[in-house]
Amino acid sequence: MERSSLVIGGGVAGMAAALMLADGGCQVYLVEREPSIGGWAASFCCKATEVCTKCSVCLVHQKLNEVASHPRISILTNSTVTGITGKIGNFRAEVFQKRRYVSPERCITCGVCAEVCPTEPKAMYLPFPEASPYSYVVDETRCLRLKGESCNLCQERCPTNAIDFRGRSKRQELSVSTIIVATGFEVFDAREIGSLGYRRYPNVLTGLDLERIFNREGSLKLPSNEKEPQKIAFIQCVGSRDENHCYCSQACCKYAMRFARLIKYQNPNTEVSIFYIDLQTAGKGFAEFYEECKESIRFIRGVPVEILEVHSGELEVKFENILEGKVNRETFDLVVLSVGMVPRKDSWDLARILGINLGEYGFFSIQPLDSTETNVEGVFLAGTCQGAKDIPDSIAHGMAAAKRATEVLARCK
Amino acid sequence: MNREDNKIVAFCCEHSAYQAANKAGRTRLYYPDNVRIIRVPCAGRVDVQHILKAFEKGAAGVLVMGCQEGACQHLTGSTRAKERVKYAESLLKEVGIDGGEVRMVNLAPDMAQRFIREVKEMAEKIEGR
Amino acid sequence: MQVRIGIFICDCGKSLSNIDFTKVRERAEKFQDVVYVDLSSSLCLEEGQKNMLSAIREPDINRVVIAGCSSELKENVFGKALEELGLNYNFLSLANIREQCSWTHEGDVTDKALELIRMAANKARFLQPVEKNYIPVNKEVLVVGGGFSGMKSALELSGLGLRTTLLEAVLGGKLGEFESFYGIEATPEEMLSSMRKAVAGDENIKVLTSAEVTKVEGQAGDFTVSIGRGEEKVCQSFGAIIFATGYMTEILPQDFQLKPDVNIISQRKLVEMLQAPGEFERRPRTIGFVLDVSNENSRLPVLSTLNNALAVKKRLGSEVYVFCKSLKVDSEGVEKLYREARERGVVFLKFEERPRISKEDGRVRVEARDLLLGEEVTLLCDFLVAEEKVLPPEGTEALSSMLNIGTDSGGFYQDENVHLYPVASERKGIFFVGGCKGDSDFTRISMDISSAAMSIYKLLCPGKVMVEVEKVKVESERCRACLTCVRVCPHGAIQMVRVDTEKEVAKIYDLACDGCGICAAICPAKAIRFEGYADEQILAEVEAIGESL
Repeated sequence: MERSSLVIGGGVAGMAAALMLADGGCQVYLVEREPSIGGWAASFCCKATEVCTKCSVCLVHQKLNEVASHPRISILTNSTVTGITGKIGNFRAEVFQKRRYVSPERCITCGVCAEVCPTEPKAMYLPFPEASPYSYVVDETRCLRLKGESCNLCQERCPTNAIDFRGRSKRQELSVSTIIVATGFEVFDAREIGSLGYRRYPNVLTGLDLERIFNREGSLKLPSNEKEPQKIAFIQCVGSRDENHCYCSQACCKYAMRFARLIKYQNPNTEVSIFYIDLQTAGKGFAEFYEECKESIRFIRGVPVEILEVHSGELEVKFENILEGKVNRETFDLVVLSVGMVPRKDSWDLARILGINLGEYGFFSIQPLDSTETNVEGVFLAGTCQGAKDIPDSIAHGMAAAKRATEVLARCK
Repeated sequence: MNREDNKIVAFCCEHSAYQAANKAGRTRLYYPDNVRIIRVPCAGRVDVQHILKAFEKGAAGVLVMGCQEGACQHLTGSTRAKERVKYAESLLKEVGIDGGEVRMVNLAPDMAQRFIREVKEMAEKIEGR
Repeated sequence: MQVRIGIFICDCGKSLSNIDFTKVRERAEKFQDVVYVDLSSSLCLEEGQKNMLSAIREPDINRVVIAGCSSELKENVFGKALEELGLNYNFLSLANIREQCSWTHEGDVTDKALELIRMAANKARFLQPVEKNYIPVNKEVLVVGGGFSGMKSALELSGLGLRTTLLEAVLGGKLGEFESFYGIEATPEEMLSSMRKAVAGDENIKVLTSAEVTKVEGQAGDFTVSIGRGEEKVCQSFGAIIFATGYMTEILPQDFQLKPDVNIISQRKLVEMLQAPGEFERRPRTIGFVLDVSNENSRLPVLSTLNNALAVKKRLGSEVYVFCKSLKVDSEGVEKLYREARERGVVFLKFEERPRISKEDGRVRVEARDLLLGEEVTLLCDFLVAEEKVLPPEGTEALSSMLNIGTDSGGFYQDENVHLYPVASERKGIFFVGGCKGDSDFTRISMDISSAAMSIYKLLCPGKVMVEVEKVKVESERCRACLTCVRVCPHGAIQMVRVDTEKEVAKIYDLACDGCGICAAICPAKAIRFEGYADEQILAEVEAIGESL
């Protein structure tokens, strides 16, 4: 049997699984759809105040570095799995690699190509500062050359001949014994709840927006006028625990509270309120953190149903105040929707290719007591593609999946 | 080094500050060029003698930059570094090293903006003297 | 041997235009002990490396400085290249003149680049070789704790081909608090029994009952564990240890001002009653559950409450009321369980202020203000299943102190540091799974167990582990046996060893050492040398700053 494994998805769970497998002596092919591994969390921010708040984003960066330099992990980016045949111990995976006009093996990231690129915004970009492989990427929707115009500036100036517009897509076949699915989640599209005003009012943001803002800027300003927000509301359970999503996304209460504390730490005069149904405060070390939160953050039991922008530009939030038993209206200048995780829309595609079943809510979860298992022997699940979970649990899940895969290899040595 | 050069020696932990500095570079964010980064495996490796030697050799400011407290890979490294920086501070006052500024900074590998802010603040402080 | 430094500078495809490389090259040639300086435009690529390697051979360079970009990936590549030439991989010193110089400053940065190169070169003068070697490890694993977590750990380790010794006072554990798992055929008792059978029949697992760990010495790969069994004491070597010592529950902590009695019962008692319904004089009409009074941050009580509430509905058909503050649903399948319970008629009453509980006419009276109704509610139940607080198992403090391993703010294993997630401790080779880590749920516990098994497999399976030999080393002649380093090492990697009849010195174990250097910084006698970050190497970098260029 080949001592090799395929991991589909290079987010934190996929990376955790790949590292464990590779450290255990297995050759790992890590297939990632985007031009860089890292997944969602690679663009998230550290939420420490004076002390660590255990968001675990730093662990993602650690894994990024480890995966990039591991001798037994082959990273295939811009790639998707298009077909699987065979069975446990002997799978054959067809991997399609989209064409890449900049070769990561030759790109030294000098940045000259981006400098000379005539489009605005640039067609030549780096996915994010910690991208792996660390290489420039061409945005096909913006590149003039790819749109048929005659522009060759980047190729002419590249000092290492890393750019080739005749770039071809590639198909290759991998022989592996086991497969780990770690394709991740999608963020609930808050536009589906129109009354909350996401994308209509500039000062309504999601938790994901906040991650990106803090990662890039290090602090929070009102999108509408760049001033410091004075009064912020977090709304929990947006897209979770409702008729269409009968599950808790597990990460949102924690990230909302961490953000709330971070914001208070940076601007002690800002008022922060969190609207919730049931507050999820379990987990290692969280009880103490929650007690501290209670001192400076206002927790309101009751979930808002409508947000309206009033003439002053502020946001009026209409909610049922459960404690008082009546409907209240209160204005804030910034509202953050704590959006949950939903299954990827293309999960069914992968399910079909692999022959695995989707669970009740569109995630791959089928078995409550062994959540890394699928209905196909030799195919295991890691991370949020199985069901919503936070970063530490995704890492543990990835490690558990690696253990299942290693078991298969150990049995048939 | 001469004190007028206003050099800042920044001992940077390889798990946090060193990477934050790299990120600052990769995002082409500017900060004063009088900083000299010395890479260490953990902020806890930095000894008081290293800090004092920097001042002895003419540095105007020293930054010791490590992981967030509670997130140190070596559990106690950041905390120990903080204690040593405090001790170094008190020694500097005693010995009377003129204008020597030393500071402990805790950050995470993605905090490029924070790294730059700390460097800029230190640069401003020592220039003022 | 005379140090001969070669400096290899990369101008990154000639893009680092704010550095005058001609000037850099000229000046660098004059640095102390430098015999060769070369300039490349793509040092990280194949052609650049080939040139560098052939250049090193010529003037017999024995220390290499690379001035270029900062990338961990490239560091490995360069290190390997040096090894191919027969040079120690530790003879490499890096200067980051791109991300930390050219890219972050406006204007000319030639002087800074020169200084950075000089710092790296000065450090290189003091670099010593570090060897790599394999040390053998013992593939036997010790699992302490015979409950669900302990047995499952042993079974998973066996599945990976590792032999395990399972220690327990009593085989059993806490599954008995669940009447059933909603949606799963097998009862907890059946699960436990089939596990016991599997453990007994597994030739890779040896069970020692009525046994406990009294001492653990040594390091990963070779722990010497003292095990006590009544009067007997044995010493055995293990490569790794998993502690699955479970948790304790306290029913009705002081907050309740009531004591357990006939009507105020624990989950386990309820389960016993449900399994023998004939014992009831008459079918209880109303059963109440109460949560979130002394501890509102627990998942396990919610799990047992939801499962057992549904079991009551199924077996007895009684009215069921659950009083809670904020229901913990962030576990797999719990939201669904919550829905199901409500559909089956379990009534959930959410309070903000704690309920008042008293006895009335042989029944239990619960008064609380229900948030959703907005009214005071009074319930008289035949039985009240009281909240149970999840606590660390007995002996945790003593054990953690003996092991020199930290606990979290709740007194459970392990320290809260994120780098220990999910199951590691600060000592390599020692893991914690299950309830002894704190309140959790079965999915998470299962993942913990698999994570620990995999971590141990990766550590022990090859039978040997490669280490950097004496990268951090105690110089015995200077050691004054003050024990500071032993106490301070966060990874428990330093122990005292006897060198002759009179003297004991500290010794750093390579496998357990994680290379932080805290010991080197704190040693009052400066007896510890950390190669690559030794005092003279760090100070050499400091001294090189500002030396006239």
